[in-house]
Amino acid sequence: MRTLNLHDYKGLFTAYTELRVQENRSVNITFVKGNNTLNLRSSTGGISARVCRNGSWGFASHPGISEENVKTVIRAATDNALFLDSKEQKEKDPLPAVPASSENDFSTSRPRLSQKDLVEFIRELDDHIASSYPQLAGRTLSLRCLDMEKRLLTSDGSYSHSMIPRSFIYIQLSVIKNGSPVELFDVYGGLGQFEDQFSAPGDLFEEVARQYHHLIKKSEGVFADAGLKTCVLDADLAGILAHEAIGHTVEADIVMSGSVAGDKIGREVASPLITMIDFANSYQGETCPVPVYVDDEGTAAKDAVLIKEGVLKSFLHNKESANHYRVAPAGNARAYAYSDEPLIRMRNTVILPGTSTLEAMIASVDDGYYLIRPGNGQADSTSEFMFGIVLGYEIKKGKIGRAIKDTTISGVAFDVLKTVSMVSGEMSWMSGGMCGKKQPIPVGMGGPAIKCQLNVGGR
Amino acid sequence: MDNLREIARDGLNELLKAGAGKAACSLTLIDKQELNVDLGEPSLLRTIFDASVNLVAIKDQKKGSTAVNRTDRSALRQAAADVLAIATAAAPDEAHDIAEAQPPAEFSSGGSRPDLDKMYSRMKELLREVGARYPRVVIRQAILDFTRTKKYFLNSNGVDFVTSKGIYRCLVFFCSREGERISSFNITGFSLKDLEQELLDCGSLDTLLRQSTEQITTHPLQGKFTGEVIITPDCLEDLIGFLTGAISDGPFISGTSIYRDKLNRQVAAPLFSLHSRPLDNEICDGYFVTADGYAARNSTIVEKGVLKSFLLSLYGSRKTGRPRAANDGGAYVVDPGETDFSDMVRSVEKGILLARFSGGEPSENGDFAGVAKNSYLIEGGEIKYPLSESMISGNFAELLMNITAVSRERINFGNAILPWISASGVTVSGK
Repeated sequence: MRTLNLHDYKGLFTAYTELRVQENRSVNITFVKGNNTLNLRSSTGGISARVCRNGSWGFASHPGISEENVKTVIRAATDNALFLDSKEQKEKDPLPAVPASSENDFSTSRPRLSQKDLVEFIRELDDHIASSYPQLAGRTLSLRCLDMEKRLLTSDGSYSHSMIPRSFIYIQLSVIKNGSPVELFDVYGGLGQFEDQFSAPGDLFEEVARQYHHLIKKSEGVFADAGLKTCVLDADLAGILAHEAIGHTVEADIVMSGSVAGDKIGREVASPLITMIDFANSYQGETCPVPVYVDDEGTAAKDAVLIKEGVLKSFLHNKESANHYRVAPAGNARAYAYSDEPLIRMRNTVILPGTSTLEAMIASVDDGYYLIRPGNGQADSTSEFMFGIVLGYEIKKGKIGRAIKDTTISGVAFDVLKTVSMVSGEMSWMSGGMCGKKQPIPVGMGGPAIKCQLNVGGR
Repeated sequence: MDNLREIARDGLNELLKAGAGKAACSLTLIDKQELNVDLGEPSLLRTIFDASVNLVAIKDQKKGSTAVNRTDRSALRQAAADVLAIATAAAPDEAHDIAEAQPPAEFSSGGSRPDLDKMYSRMKELLREVGARYPRVVIRQAILDFTRTKKYFLNSNGVDFVTSKGIYRCLVFFCSREGERISSFNITGFSLKDLEQELLDCGSLDTLLRQSTEQITTHPLQGKFTGEVIITPDCLEDLIGFLTGAISDGPFISGTSIYRDKLNRQVAAPLFSLHSRPLDNEICDGYFVTADGYAARNSTIVEKGVLKSFLLSLYGSRKTGRPRAANDGGAYVVDPGETDFSDMVRSVEKGILLARFSGGEPSENGDFAGVAKNSYLIEGGEIKYPLSESMISGNFAELLMNITAVSRERINFGNAILPWISASGVTVSGK
């Protein structure tokens, strides 16, 4: 990434200022049924400044990283803050200063593969799928790699440099059943550049075989029976429950606009089996999928305990909301692109494991569903959440039954969490999706298997 | 302008010098002023300048592409070399191509500069009016921006287009609150060529804010039934999105589109006609040139329920042997029907008014399930009350065939013009 010594421009700051140089580099290679439909490499970078005057904010960005453009964006952001301040005159308190400094570079130390190597990797995986599973009607394989590199300087003394990469292979397989397509989608990969995530196509063959097995079961599946049901959520689903059901509900900007969590700090909102944490960068000594060490406001990132043994403990903050609630920010302000301002975002939101086993949880259900893979999700100010289910099975008398077709589950977060009666001892992470909130942002999520009551969409 | 055209020309020349057999270069410059409201107060003013150079090279029927946002000559030279290397890595495909020669043209719409003071005063007016008319509404976030986009598109077949567009866009995200009770959030947006009209009078904003206040008090549905659904203009994009997604490249190339053999066949009730009109005078937020580099044309996708065209790109068209679309989709216009909205409601014995669908992505076969948000129970021809914790499920393809009425009234969102649509056969379930 082209860059400048940001410290050289500190003298241009006339109010609270964040100065950021950022580049997002991406690779996208897609094969649709053996056709190499996309073969793209791109980079988007530039410089931005955000300025706060008495509670009014100004922001400006420019794609050219040069001394002249640094001056331009600082001046434009300052002018924008002045424009709003002159009209609004909010006279808010100064923002909390939490100076921090960090250097975190997750670039691979292995030799980098060329675009040709990457295309060959996906083609070999695609060839294997085509030859191994001739019954497939369609298959789409996408490799998507994203390196986010940032340098940040703030007027209150923070400086950080980070290079956080992620690499994923997305595979969608479909069959035609009774003249109608049935598909199943899965994601492989995580934190790191491609070379640190994938070594050979063959490493994914077993996972693809499992995906195909589930697809065939799903093609013979039935509609779920609509209504309130006892469900066992696989560990792969707990993360999205944590993210959609609770995580969004306790983002301070959502709380300030009236989320139902607003007056629940210190109150019981979930079963005592539930402890939920938004980890900054590591869990039990291991790096989380989306590590944040210093956020994009220059705040040192710390873990945020959201729910402890069923009791709501805190919200997620940026500097402004932390000021409002008179608490310390923990580093949740993050921006996606150089031209984006930081927003309050989750990082690695998890429900901590318990002591039950998945087998015992399934055996305990007389009539319900075992839900395995999520699709997209959404939260609401009422704390009613939903997420799509692309893979699940009936549970009948404690045994796994027929697969179900795609469905959606929903519930009111705090009500659902109070119905949690068993939590497994395992822990599974997911990070292949993006969270949307004005901007997209990579997030990590995780947890154990959970038994609870949910509304299931169906016929 | 000449200088910018030269940058695009340089990009194209660098690709050809690097060895591309066919090449295309587009240069896009974006200049945006954006006023943000958070929690009912103007909070942030943003100035964004961005540039994007997209380079495409085809060599020996292998295609590579890259996007960078630097426009200096050395960056273009490096990007051109990179894209040739990317193309070399690709699998060859006879379907790769670039747009054929068309007469050079310049297209323009909208203003060239934002009126920042007017943006601010219109936003303050909106906040004042909402406070007066709907005091329980909380404007969580509102964004009013003016975006000026200038784009140069050149390719080695001689395509040479310049487009410029200035547009105001407004997005409002809100809920309502009374004491500890809160409504579901709702969101709506619209595009405007100028700020002559009050924001509250644009799109569906006023209606949705009024409904938001009503939705502080909701009732969960008990049990389940199969009935009629009236889909609001804000929510209709989901249904249109399913149809237009299913007639696009991906499902056609993979062979899984349920509409692959349906051209000139009935895919919806005869009451339903859908067009894509990026050049329509009533669509202020359209476009002039497709991503492939063709001058866009208006098209009819469904006429009286019959599928008239697919939405295939140049590649999708060559790959499947079916006609290339006249445009890239979007700018959707649904013809008005002959039924007043109030009569549509009166004709429903039991059903729901669906204002927002929060659900998983529909399956390729059209099956969907999700939560009916900001929605109302209809019984005996009357809107009864707002619902909570109510789910709907069905099949989008069947829903299109089961359309029973299209409203006379439509909402112009600036980027789409849509009516209310009534259809039967949706399962609605509660606790």
